[in-house]
This record gives sequence, structure tokens and C-alpha cells, in this order.
Amino acid sequence: MGATGANRGQPAIMDAKTRWGRFRRSEAASGLLLISPTALYALLMLAVPLAAILLYSVLTDGYLTVEWTPTLANYAEAWGDPLYRQVMLRSLFVSATVTLVTVLLAYPVAYYVSFHVSPSRKSLWLFLITIPFWTSYLIRVFLWKVILGFNGVVNSSLMTLGIIDEPLTFILYNVNAVVITLAHAYAPFAILPIFVALEKIDRSLLEASQDLGESRLLTFWRVTLPLSMPGVVAAVLIVFIPTIGDYVTPQLVGGPEGRMISNAIQLQYLRLDNYPLGSALAVSAMAIVTAVSLVFLFLNRRFLRVRQQ
Amino acid sequence: MKPIIQIRDVHKYYGDYHALRGINVDIGEGEFFSLLGPSGCGKTTLLRTIAGFEDLSQGTIHIDGRLMEGVPPNKRPTNMVFQSYAIFPHLTVAENVGFGLRRDPRTPAQKAAAVEEALEMVGLKGYGGRAAHALSGGQRQRVALARALILKPRVLLLDEPLSALDKKLREQMQSELRRLQRQVGITFILVTHDQEEALIMSDRIAVMFEGQIAQLAPPQELYRRPVTRQVAEFIGVMNFLPASVATVNGARIDVEVAGLGTVELAAEQCPGGARSGKGSVGFRPETLTILFEGETPRGRVAEGTVEEVTYYGDMTYYGVVPDGVDVPLTISMRNLVGRRVLERGERTRVAWDPAALVLFC
Repeated sequence: MGATGANRGQPAIMDAKTRWGRFRRSEAASGLLLISPTALYALLMLAVPLAAILLYSVLTDGYLTVEWTPTLANYAEAWGDPLYRQVMLRSLFVSATVTLVTVLLAYPVAYYVSFHVSPSRKSLWLFLITIPFWTSYLIRVFLWKVILGFNGVVNSSLMTLGIIDEPLTFILYNVNAVVITLAHAYAPFAILPIFVALEKIDRSLLEASQDLGESRLLTFWRVTLPLSMPGVVAAVLIVFIPTIGDYVTPQLVGGPEGRMISNAIQLQYLRLDNYPLGSALAVSAMAIVTAVSLVFLFLNRRFLRVRQQ
Repeated sequence: MKPIIQIRDVHKYYGDYHALRGINVDIGEGEFFSLLGPSGCGKTTLLRTIAGFEDLSQGTIHIDGRLMEGVPPNKRPTNMVFQSYAIFPHLTVAENVGFGLRRDPRTPAQKAAAVEEALEMVGLKGYGGRAAHALSGGQRQRVALARALILKPRVLLLDEPLSALDKKLREQMQSELRRLQRQVGITFILVTHDQEEALIMSDRIAVMFEGQIAQLAPPQELYRRPVTRQVAEFIGVMNFLPASVATVNGARIDVEVAGLGTVELAAEQCPGGARSGKGSVGFRPETLTILFEGETPRGRVAEGTVEEVTYYGDMTYYGVVPDGVDVPLTISMRNLVGRRVLERGERTRVAWDPAALVLFC
């Protein structure tokens, strides 16, 4: 947006003064003025670092320095090394699983609030759903550590009840722990867009379906679900995009086998001081997220077109 | 008349609110039946109990001889045209119309032919491939009609289907609905708050107030012989004058009407039942006639002053205050060739016929 502002301004300066004057008084100018603090902030905090990473990713790594020799070797390593490929695939897998679990669990909650909670109570329910946000993300992840740990809540409860003899070890410091923690953290993000999509459904459509001979279940399948798909797609995007790059959760509860792409990037940057390779990994991860997101955005466009009444 | 729907002693409560207060009605096979009343009178609630969207607090509904208690909407031989039309926005016109055919044993090709036939019946031939959200209000309504009629229900329920259309389109759809009903020969039950619409379209009309049926009659009877003042006020325009019933003598009722003198009415002019005491008489604007210069009266004559003149082109509505009365009477006169329009303040003679009066006690 900052770039657009610069482009708009330039021809006006080069051209006649009257045109510049007209531009200054126009609505476009006041609009640009209004967004300029945000645009500048975004430019400095997002565009510049992004450009720096892109630049680093095609430079050569020297010992503790970066050499100004352009190369694609970093990308070759990022995509070719089985270690990084495995980490990337694991990130995709974890993120996809988290998205699936979160959306599947969020849908019934959103459905319940939208269809079975009386209108006067709905805002209270939404408020309660956002309660996890009252605590910092870091603390929530730590709490999961307490719950899932060797002597944690789950294990000690199960042992006291006599269901297991020794603590379960597959619930902490691995992929499962990452999935459980992330699914919990992102649940409200998935519930809200689905809830909004369900709220927008005209209830007489559901009655019409029943009137035309369909049971409640088939009415859900043929009417409610298709009409709530924009919300589901939004939920998928909102959960998928941040979880694939999540750093804190795999770091704290993932253990060595739960490590994800952001942990690998952190390792390159801060431990091994290999900025170019770290940047190439980061750019690759972004490219993959972008590709997946575009697929879903395209899907959403299809569903959204339907809703324009 | 063979009844297709039998409604017996139906009550519906929403918490403390008594929405339906003892409805009893038989609706005949092939009848165009209207539920008419102001908003909140319970007409839509009654329709929804027939469709199965509301359960009854008390009473029974039989459709086609079958008790409907516990039968969900998808298992009832009724289909509904919703007020909002409830067209599925994610489907095409053809998919909307064919929505209820999923379990139909016919082949896909036969079903497609049935959909096309239904669309043709409502005047939307060739619209099948369109997206439903791109339709106009009138077209949506036709799709809703086709979608319901394709299932060949025993009863078609229409919940204020014309209220969202503009006047021209509404009039067109009124005659079209009537034509469709004759064509398919099934029972139509129409919910409306528009008395004119009910009069135009129905074989019989149930006028509802506050959860009860005030009168159930064919349009002509409803208009000519309303049983209560409330019904008379709701259907068309009616003039009222205070009256007192002197004697009720079998088929003859002697009534003293303010400003008009003593009249003798027949028993059927008091459809709500007669008893001596205070009451009122009502008469329609078209039963009064203004006598222009040189015209000889038929019936009785009153004199009065023109207080209001409303010119409609084909008609003129006068407000005339008869001598000895303080309320203006509305009189409608056709603007025939050579007939002048009176002006405010003019004196005039008004001819009236005691046989046109309706007595409310």
C-alpha cells in the first residue's frame, strides 16, 4: 500500500501544478493520508525485513559473515537436504492435522451456539469462548506441559484411577503434544468465523428443506453445511497459516522429534549463524504457505459467489 | 365438500401467550382457502401448525384423514411457499425446483423433464440453469411455487407470498395463483393480511382476530354480512351509525337509526344475532347514492352536507354528514359521463336502501 501511495504521488509532482492541487483535494488523497501511518509502519516492519530475508537467501554464507556472492545453493540445500525436507513435511503434517482437528471440533461448538443458544445468551457464549486469550500464549503452552508431562495431570489421574501402570510417554515431547496444544490454542479462531457463517443462514431455508421432504440430517448436509463453507474455509486459513510457522509450541512441548520449520530456521540463524540458509528456509516455508492459502482462497471465492444475493 | 384438513379445538401457547384459542375448521379438497387477519392474529401460526413447524398445545389436526400429531414436516402431504421464498442461494433454479425429488424413484432424465415442466407451469421455461441468487422477487416466488408443486402435495400452504411484490406484480400473481390452483386442482391455503387479496382469490375466508376465527364465509357473504363490527371494519370500508333495536319479532327487527329514522330489517341482516338494546348499523359506501339534480330516488332519502371530496379518476369518494348525525358517511360514486363532482360544503340528497344495512348488536 505504501508503494501505491508513492506511485500515485509521483506523476502528480511531475505533471502540472493544477493536477497536483486537484489530487491533494481529492478523496484518494485523504484516503492515502489516512492510511499512511499504517502503511509506513507496514513498510518498515514488514516489507523491509521481508526484502532483507529475500536478499539474504541468495547470498553465500561465510564463517560468521555473509558474502556478497549471489547463489542458489541455499535453496538447493533447503529443498534437497532430507533433514530439512522432513522438517518441512512434518510442519505441513502438524499444521494440517491441527487444522483438521480444530475445525472438526470447532464446528459443533459454533453450530451449538448459533442454533441452540437463545439469542440473548449468544454474546455471553462468545465471550466465554475467548477466555483462553486472557492468559498469555506462552503460559498456556507451559500449562499443557504440566498437563501432559511425565508426572502431569493426565498421567497421575490415569495412574490413580488404575487405568495405567506407568506414565504415558507418547503425549509429551513429540508431535502429538504439539497437535494437542496448538488445537487448543487456535480453537476460538476457528469457532468464530464458522459461527458467523452459520448466523448468516436464513432459518427459513432449513424449514424449506424439511418441508420439501428432507430429514434434519440431510438438511444439514444439503443446506447448512454448504452455506457455512465460507466460514469453514476462513477457519482453515486462520488456523493453518499461523500454525505452520509456530515456534513456541514445538520448542516447548515438541521435543526433538516434534521440531518444526521455524525451529530449524531459528537454529540456522541464532545457533549456526547461517543467515542465508535460514532465509532460504523461511522463504521456502512462506512460498508453501502461500500456495496452500491460494488454493483455499480460490475455494472460498467459489463459495462466496453463491452468497451474493 | 370432502374435507382434506380437519382442525379441531386447536390451542397454541408460547409461554403465557395464547396464540391460538380454540380453532375449529374443515378445509375442503380443492378449495382455495384464506386465513385473513391483522398481524399477530395467529394466522401464520395456524399455517405453521398445519405444515408441522409448530406443535399444538392442545387439539388435533387431520390431513387426508391421518392424524398429524408427531408427524414431522418432511412426512406431511403439504408443501409451503415461504414469505421470504426461502430459495436455496447455493443452487441453480433447476436444483432448487428438483430439491425435493432426491428420493423420487424416477430416472435423472425423467426428473429433469419434471423440473422443466414445473418451470414451464410457472412461466420460467428455460431458466433452469440460472443461479438462484440472480433472480428477481417475482421470479423467486415462481421458483418457490414450482419447487412446492412439483412434489404434488395434497395441500399447498402459502405464507403471505405476495406481500413482498410491488402492486402490479402482485395483481398479476393473484390471477396467476388462481389459475394455477384451478389447473392443479389441489387445496391452497393462503395466509394474508390484505383483505382485497383474500376477496379476489378465495373460495372461503377465515377472518382471524387474537387467535380465534371471527368469521368463516365465502367472500360475498363476508363482505355483505359481516358478523361483527370488527370483521366489517377489517373487510373493505363500512359506515357505522348508532342504532337502537326496539323490538325483535321473529324474522322482523325494528331498529331506530340515528339521523335516518326507523327501519325494519330482516333477520339475515343481523348475522351476528339480534337482541333489543343499543347497537349500530353499518353500510358499505356503494350502497349509498348521491342524488343529483332531477334524479328520482329509489328507497329512502336523507339530506346532508358534503364535507370531503376525494377524486380517484374512475370514482369519487364523498364524506357526507347527514342532518342530525355528527359522523360523515363515506359514499362512493362512479364518475359517469355528464355527472359532475360535488364540492365541499354543498347540500345534497342521499338515497339509501334499508335492505343494504347490517345490524350489529
